[in-house]
Amino acid sequence: MKYLLSRILLFLPAFLGAVTLIFFLIHLIPGDPVEVMLGETASPADKEILRQELGLDQPLLVQYLRFLSGLASGDLGDSLSQQGRVMDLILRRLPATLELTLAAMGIALMIALPLGIVAAVKRQTWMDHTSLLFSLLGLSIPNFWLGPLLIIVFSIELGWFPVSGRGGLSHLILPSITLGTAMAAVLTRITRSSLLEVIQEDYIKTARGKGLSEWSVWLKHALRNSLLSVITIVGLQFGSLLAGAIITETIFTWPGLGRLTIHAIQTRDYPLAQGCIMLISVSYLVVNLATDLLYKFADPRITYEK
Amino acid sequence: MLPGELCICQEKEATTSHYFLSGKIHLIEKFTTRLLLTLSLALVPQLGCLPSSPSDRPPGYLVIGLESSPTHLDPRYATDANSARIAALIFSSLTRMDERSRFKPDLAERWEMIDERTYLFHLKKGVTFHNGQPLTAADVKFTYETALDPKNQSPKRGLLNVVEAVDQLGPYTVRFRLKAPHAPFLESSMLGIVPEGSPRGRDPTENGLIGSGPFSLEKFLPGEKVVLKANTTYWEGQPSVSGLVFKIIPDAIIRVLEFKKGSVDFLQNDIEPDMLPWLKSNTNASILTRQGTIYQYIGFNLEHPILRHREVRQAIAYAIDREAIIRHLLKGLATPATGLLSPLHWAYESSVLRFSYNPEEANRLLDQAGFLDPDGEGPLPRFKLSYKTTTLDLRRRIAEALKEQLEKVGIELDVRTFEWGTFYEDIKKGRFHLYSLAWVGIADPDIYFTIFHSSSIPPHGNNRGRYRNPKIDQLLDRGRRISNLEERRGIYSRVQKMLAHDLPYIPLWWVKNVVVMKPTIRGFIPYPDGDLISLKEVSLAIPYPPSL
Repeated sequence: MKYLLSRILLFLPAFLGAVTLIFFLIHLIPGDPVEVMLGETASPADKEILRQELGLDQPLLVQYLRFLSGLASGDLGDSLSQQGRVMDLILRRLPATLELTLAAMGIALMIALPLGIVAAVKRQTWMDHTSLLFSLLGLSIPNFWLGPLLIIVFSIELGWFPVSGRGGLSHLILPSITLGTAMAAVLTRITRSSLLEVIQEDYIKTARGKGLSEWSVWLKHALRNSLLSVITIVGLQFGSLLAGAIITETIFTWPGLGRLTIHAIQTRDYPLAQGCIMLISVSYLVVNLATDLLYKFADPRITYEK
Repeated sequence: MLPGELCICQEKEATTSHYFLSGKIHLIEKFTTRLLLTLSLALVPQLGCLPSSPSDRPPGYLVIGLESSPTHLDPRYATDANSARIAALIFSSLTRMDERSRFKPDLAERWEMIDERTYLFHLKKGVTFHNGQPLTAADVKFTYETALDPKNQSPKRGLLNVVEAVDQLGPYTVRFRLKAPHAPFLESSMLGIVPEGSPRGRDPTENGLIGSGPFSLEKFLPGEKVVLKANTTYWEGQPSVSGLVFKIIPDAIIRVLEFKKGSVDFLQNDIEPDMLPWLKSNTNASILTRQGTIYQYIGFNLEHPILRHREVRQAIAYAIDREAIIRHLLKGLATPATGLLSPLHWAYESSVLRFSYNPEEANRLLDQAGFLDPDGEGPLPRFKLSYKTTTLDLRRRIAEALKEQLEKVGIELDVRTFEWGTFYEDIKKGRFHLYSLAWVGIADPDIYFTIFHSSSIPPHGNNRGRYRNPKIDQLLDRGRRISNLEERRGIYSRVQKMLAHDLPYIPLWWVKNVVVMKPTIRGFIPYPDGDLISLKEVSLAIPYPPSL
């Protein structure tokens, strides 16, 4: 409990640092949201009035403090480019991104764990080499290439899936494979190497000495102990999954946070862009916190109490 | 639609994946199909029972693929091209433009110019809004007054600012009084009319928008789709199709693949030139290409010590091989331009100075301007300039071609690509030597005023190159005051000739309009500015199945 509290306390300065960085970086990008809203034909006087209404005429530090006070009361402000409050717009898009990201993670684990285990058990065989090839390809193929490739084969040629959009399960499969492949590639290698490390341990020899079957040794004794590294990487990769979702969402016309973020940055919609990027940063921090807590679950010997 | 430079919505969210359709697609298809077939066959039995989503296509609806989402459908706020085009299907206006860019009556039965500052519009009787309420002069007055009220922050206020008052003279008569004579006023009469009492300011519930156009708004999901339903009581007759679905598909290749799959029926202009040959050979698409009015140009910073010289600007114009770029990079989907107004425009002047590819003349002019090549054919340039453009793949490739062509006459071009917002900000602030952009939605020749009049230097207009010419100023001042069409034609003819000689812009090309549609679609008339209004006249030869 004490550990949990200290981690949450650490979370706060990390969060504050992230939002500060986000605020100032976004305001550093050249561009004028007032011109986006009023158009270029607007008179300088009209632009000035709107700038004052939005508080954009204030010094950046004042805007920052106002942003922080809004944040403290859970108010991210109004979007400048779309109708509605930033929080509502984000919450409307969040389920789509979570659906895609979690499905991608599920697919990555479904591919990586069996492939990693097989590669470790059948080390230096054709199966191990195939797994290595998969990992290399998975890491090398960018999403913007893999996505259209999958669409051509599975949607156009075979006609199994819709090309794009969000709907039922059939809409989810291709985007989640596209997004999850790189993560699957990393996890396959991590699972394999971690298993091969654990398999050298004395307790594995003991298990074998007890007469357990080889698969039982690998799956019950070795795999559980090698999961720590896998959990760490899953946590770390979550952030890159969210970042990768921006490209995948564009390819598959997936109405998620990624496309909203791009739109917000392009239209210099400061409040919306801040809200979107902040959510991605917070997710990253939360997942890493959850990862730390999962360690104990994966290995009961780990204790955070002194 | 307001005239404007290719807006953020048209250039945003570009991706790099059009590689697939550059002729290599067959190889990729064959290879990947074989490679992945074995793997995928194992999944077939499971896939049969996957829950599928509700269809995107209600029965009898036409699905149109769009690159970017409209931002506002309320005509008082719709400024980007897609917003303006869709809003025009929902809202009728006093006048609209035909396919030859001429004004024609829409809600107005007729109009008259009482004097240079007063216009009278007589409305058609019996027109109703989608909710059945009759459309009267009170609605027209309300629409214009709310757009003009600074409190409502309408981006149309700048265009309408010349209007002093809108008076209702009867149930079907409305009078506009202008602050000063303003010949391009009729452009302002294309504002969509909303019912009196519609929410003032930006309405957070755009799904409740009511117009009197051929289609009514059924659903608007920003970034996803807009669904319009045929207006059964439309005063010009009910559209043949049951409705329209505008599906937002940001990625160029995915738009084309959706078309191939059959889930999109219609695409206009949002097609990479590389993809057309593939579409022709791989689909049964009916493809129309027509002369367009989108004008692509190179802008100069005239305060730059080298670009200040007219000979240098002309030399650059002679050094550019437009025909080659059009043939190889644009796949013939453009025609070399002579100026801002296309031959389709009533004020177009054809006898202007033209700059066909002539590197020898370019070299001569550069020598004459005193910028000698330090080592002849050697690697040292005469001078170095920067060229700014966006990160769009096609723009980058055009920039590379220009760099190579200018190198041949001893000019080193430093190509710099930027994300749209940063690029546009630099252009507006005058932080450039050369840049390339396009003007869309050109209606009245008064556009020259905002681009080349010395009072239009930012922040008061779009004279980004800081062009100053008192003679041009005089002509443009007169052009916007005089309402006689022939006199105006004469004025703008002189403007075009002088600008072609002075060259504050190098005209590159007019982009052709390309329409890709199912062969079952009948009756679509492409408009030079990409207007989609003729979708109200479209019919389907064979009815579509209820769902895909």
